Amino acid sequence: MSVEAVTLTNADAARRRIGATLALSAFVVLLMLISLGIGPVRLSPLAVAEALFGGGSEVSQVIVREIRLPRTLLALAIGAILGLSGAALQGLLRNPLASPELFGAPQSAAFGAVLVIALGLADVRSYALPVAAIIAAFGSVFGLLSIAGRNAGLLILILSGLAISSFAGAATALVMNLATNPFLVLEIAFWLLGSLEDRSFQHVMLAFPFIVAGGAMLLSQRNAFRALSLGEETAQSLGVDVGRLRLFVISGVALGVGGAVAVTGTIGFIGLVAPHLMRPAIGHDPGRLLIPSALAGSALLLAADIAVRIIPSTSDIKVGVLTSIIGVPFFLYLIMRERRALGGGVA
Amino acid sequence: MRRQLAFLVAVMALLPGSIAPAANLPRLVSMNVCTDQLVLRLADPEQILGLSKFSRDGWQGPAVGDISRYPVLSGGAEDVLLIKPDIVVASAFDKRSTRELLKAKGLRLAELAVPRTLDEARQQIREAGDITGHPDRAAKEIARLDAALARARGAVAERHYRVLPLSRRGWVAGSDSFVGSLLSETGLRSAAGDLGFTFGGFASLEAIVNLRPDFIVVSQAGDYARDDGQAFLLHPALERFYPLEKRIVIPERMTECGGVMLADALDALTAELKRVGR
Repeated sequence: MSVEAVTLTNADAARRRIGATLALSAFVVLLMLISLGIGPVRLSPLAVAEALFGGGSEVSQVIVREIRLPRTLLALAIGAILGLSGAALQGLLRNPLASPELFGAPQSAAFGAVLVIALGLADVRSYALPVAAIIAAFGSVFGLLSIAGRNAGLLILILSGLAISSFAGAATALVMNLATNPFLVLEIAFWLLGSLEDRSFQHVMLAFPFIVAGGAMLLSQRNAFRALSLGEETAQSLGVDVGRLRLFVISGVALGVGGAVAVTGTIGFIGLVAPHLMRPAIGHDPGRLLIPSALAGSALLLAADIAVRIIPSTSDIKVGVLTSIIGVPFFLYLIMRERRALGGGVA
Repeated sequence: MRRQLAFLVAVMALLPGSIAPAANLPRLVSMNVCTDQLVLRLADPEQILGLSKFSRDGWQGPAVGDISRYPVLSGGAEDVLLIKPDIVVASAFDKRSTRELLKAKGLRLAELAVPRTLDEARQQIREAGDITGHPDRAAKEIARLDAALARARGAVAERHYRVLPLSRRGWVAGSDSFVGSLLSETGLRSAAGDLGFTFGGFASLEAIVNLRPDFIVVSQAGDYARDDGQAFLLHPALERFYPLEKRIVIPERMTECGGVMLADALDALTAELKRVGR
């Protein structure tokens, strides 16, 4: 291949990357508009637009600006941080099956939040909830990476992830088991399903600082991921402090996932699916995959949250249930694809 | 021997309510927080050998006095078998296995359902009066209920408010439910029917805001959300249209059981209507 041809393919790839990212951004904006336009009360697109900018009746203003807008913003941000966390973990571990939910991060975050709810320590709209969720998520990811070690193969990672998420689930079940108030058990059970329904700007304020901080931490490491994809030793020779990188990623994921889970409950599998959807268009460079994965995560969660409002059902479907229903078959498909690596034992 | 006897007598004298248990009145245990309310109101303290495990959760109200002197049951069958009461007062919603076991062991069970109309509530109070052996007190309770109902009707008068009973998570008691029938008995109109709920259902925040009933009926005031279900009632969109001046607050311990506390619920409604109606 001549030098000219290589530069040409590079330019082609760059064009395709930028094109895909722009198209995806436009799609996310479109989904946000649909999300603002859909709800139990039928409002015409014109009325929604009017209400959004402070016109129309007071009722439609409240519906659009205080009920639908926070929901849409939360779907955008939480989808993004989940997609970003998945891409970052996959980059860090050079492993396509890495994702927050397979490592038990959302489940652990949920345990932290559930503990605060069950003990009645604070108002559920206070910062106690995200802080507890973040601590628990940090503990789970940190624990997992410590148990699995630096160059763990798929099998060890998945098994430790399974153990940690099972433990978080058991701890949550214990909290529910010990709760004396029957209402509380029901509340926690509902909450665990994961939903964006009827959230307010209080929730946005609760989650956003942590999601932004976590997202910034993960994005700041994009060059390190690229170096790491050449192998740990090469990365180190390029000046990447791998230990520091791991701590950065764990903290970023914990902040983002913890903040997200604290306001929505567990919403799974976005972090696993989003990076995979983007790889065909973006390529395998983990640094370049971060932002498109975040966009794909937003698009997935927005679409899922629109779907739960459209799917006719007697009682509303929770969005966390829908993402898991779609995500688990995808996970099985990935396992099938990675069968050889899994069967080959520890790398 | 004589000293022992004297000691026993002294101890007996110290025990509250042990003076002279009325000869023919049945000794009771109550297995459910709702039957606790009935038993505490209608039976003599000496008749009560045990209350449900949730009896001390503050659902009994101040009128029945200090209830800490009554033993608390485990909720299972074992301790009831040991106490051997004449009648076990239970709810039809308690654990079936426990009730079956108690019956199989030859205990007499009085199973009370949760009433769905005001008539059923009166009927239940009468029934509980017969069970406890105090029909006179039951009649007095029914009279208290009717008087409270008359007061509530007076407070509603000709105002024809349209109200929406709203519980945690947006649960709306339907127009055919107990709360619905209670509201319509006083002359208030439940907006639940406008949402299409006959028995009840979950209403979305958007639908409530869009419906704009005159008042919402909730079970607690305050700005503290212990859980997500309560946070729903404190959502800024709802608070904007329904600040405390637009909320009728009736504690749920007064309405959930539909028994002797109904009179208190109606009086609370009367007081709240006076507060919000100004």
